[in-house]
Amino acid sequence: MRLDPYQPIPSRVIDIIEETPTIKTFVLKPQEQVAFSTGQFVELTLPGEGEAPFTPSSDPHIKEELEVTIMKAGRVTSALHSIPKDTTLGIRGPYGKGYPLEEFKNKDILIVGGGVGLAPLRSLIYALLAHPQDYKNIIIRYGARTPQDLLYKKQLSEWAKIKNINLMLTVDTADSNWKGNVGVVTTILKDLPLDLTNAVAVVCGPPIMMKFTTLKLLDLGFRPESIYLSMEKNMSCGLGKCGHCRLGRFYVCKDGPVFKYEEIKEIEDIWE
Amino acid sequence: MDIFYLKEENLFNFLKTLESEYEVFVPQKSEGKLRLCPFGFEVSHTEYILKEISSVDKENFSYNPYRTIEPLKSFFISTREPITEYFESAFEREQKPRVIFGMKNCDLFSLKIQDFVFLEGVVKDPFYERRRHQNILISSDCFLFKEVCFCTALGIMPYAQEGFDLNFSEVTSGYIVEVGSEKGAKVIQNNYRYFNPATPVQIASCNKKREKFVSNLNQHLILHDLVPKEIIPQIVKEGFNSGVWQELVLNCVECGGCNFICDTCHCFLLSDERFGKINEKIRSWDACLYANFAKVAGGANPLRYRYQRLRNRYLKKFDFFVENLGLLACCGCGRCIEVCPAKIDIREVLKKLAQQYKTQKI
Repeated sequence: MRLDPYQPIPSRVIDIIEETPTIKTFVLKPQEQVAFSTGQFVELTLPGEGEAPFTPSSDPHIKEELEVTIMKAGRVTSALHSIPKDTTLGIRGPYGKGYPLEEFKNKDILIVGGGVGLAPLRSLIYALLAHPQDYKNIIIRYGARTPQDLLYKKQLSEWAKIKNINLMLTVDTADSNWKGNVGVVTTILKDLPLDLTNAVAVVCGPPIMMKFTTLKLLDLGFRPESIYLSMEKNMSCGLGKCGHCRLGRFYVCKDGPVFKYEEIKEIEDIWE
Repeated sequence: MDIFYLKEENLFNFLKTLESEYEVFVPQKSEGKLRLCPFGFEVSHTEYILKEISSVDKENFSYNPYRTIEPLKSFFISTREPITEYFESAFEREQKPRVIFGMKNCDLFSLKIQDFVFLEGVVKDPFYERRRHQNILISSDCFLFKEVCFCTALGIMPYAQEGFDLNFSEVTSGYIVEVGSEKGAKVIQNNYRYFNPATPVQIASCNKKREKFVSNLNQHLILHDLVPKEIIPQIVKEGFNSGVWQELVLNCVECGGCNFICDTCHCFLLSDERFGKINEKIRSWDACLYANFAKVAGGANPLRYRYQRLRNRYLKKFDFFVENLGLLACCGCGRCIEVCPAKIDIREVLKKLAQQYKTQKI
């Protein structure tokens, strides 16, 4: 940990990838290594403008660079979308607890993503694919609003070719070229090639998608302790001090952002 | 630890002596009339404000009988301050050590909450830690109470038992001075000419005064018929879906006063500003009663409605801190009651929740 926990590490933007009309991936080269484990988040500073939390979308095994996939949504993200390559941003972190890969070993892993929620999941998929023999089937179910809102199209088609990956996509609204499923992501959560007695589900997406996916998974027979959720709150300090990201007795920034549904299911209003 | 006696006429001079090493803050009186509370007790409307001793003369200096207006936290976490510069790392903002005189036990209790937030967990806050280390806390016993005071109902005594460097108790023509820490002992040592060892008679008189005051305050609180502290976490948690929040928040103007004046509220916001080539991160106090407190960039806001935010304040104090620290994060100082323009009264909120809880259980 650095001496001053509020000081960001200068990080040069070495590439900007346009993923969709509203989502860009920023490839960052921090001056000091930011060794994150998959699912942890960082606070990204646009100097003089503001700071916001993001979970890296890149492979956690790559130490020199990291990628952050950002949807244009608020003040800071809009400003980030207008920066050119070679801008120096600041990084604080990594913060929180990521995906407990140990608990996934020798299990079927169902990964359900919605919209930009695929970003942290991509990092998870990279981490899993680094040791494919440790896990059984990886079942990916991903939904976006329209075909052009789908993230990481190149990786998606590469993953589809991998033997122990079973991948299915859906969109809320199709266009004329779309051959796949139409409907929200819960409509492709059936006939899953997995062993319910030995499977975990990992969910990341907008609150409403997380809610209905969790309910659907419970319906399918997943136990609350086998469902892992990435909770989105407005983490500001990342250190469990500023108070913004309280979720019941937890702070999402230090106790999360990944929670088992079992841990938080008694807390009121978690999907708000 | 040792117990000393200081003559009344030496108090101001003693504090003045500390000025060479410290910024010394002492209470100044802002006169108000004595009034009768609804239960017939004479309560004071005089306020005490902490001022730097250099701007206070002996006549204006006042040994405060109850807590000051401002919460103690303001000496450790500033309302708004730059906390880092980037990408330069030469940032070192020294603050002269401070002596804060006239803190009460409610303030000292609340510092336990602040300590938990800023000294425990993932990382220590370096600013808080330094100030906590270098500042000297001189507390004093309460010998009057305000209408809004309810510390003893929460099991907190109106005199300090721990967490102070020195503590003052008023006795005949002077003060009993209790040493609570090494730092405090050093202050006495360096100014030994002002102090004498306290006599057993003086100490006994101090204890008697304390007892009498506690019983006096308790009589007042009995008439208020407050909710027993043991059931507070339960009624707040079980009252999650109660209509009490909607009902009581109606007049709230979202000023955030209850948060800012609160001894235990600690939330802050980080923001970024640019000054030429230097960028700064600024830390400011934040208030969970503000509309955007929990809003995320995507637009979701788990605390969208005012009643949710009022409820959040109570859940934080009476659920979160109970779960994580084992303490109710309220010291009974009543500052939030006095500051609220909508007259939202924490005592009444809890009473209403308790009533509803009882009727539901029956």
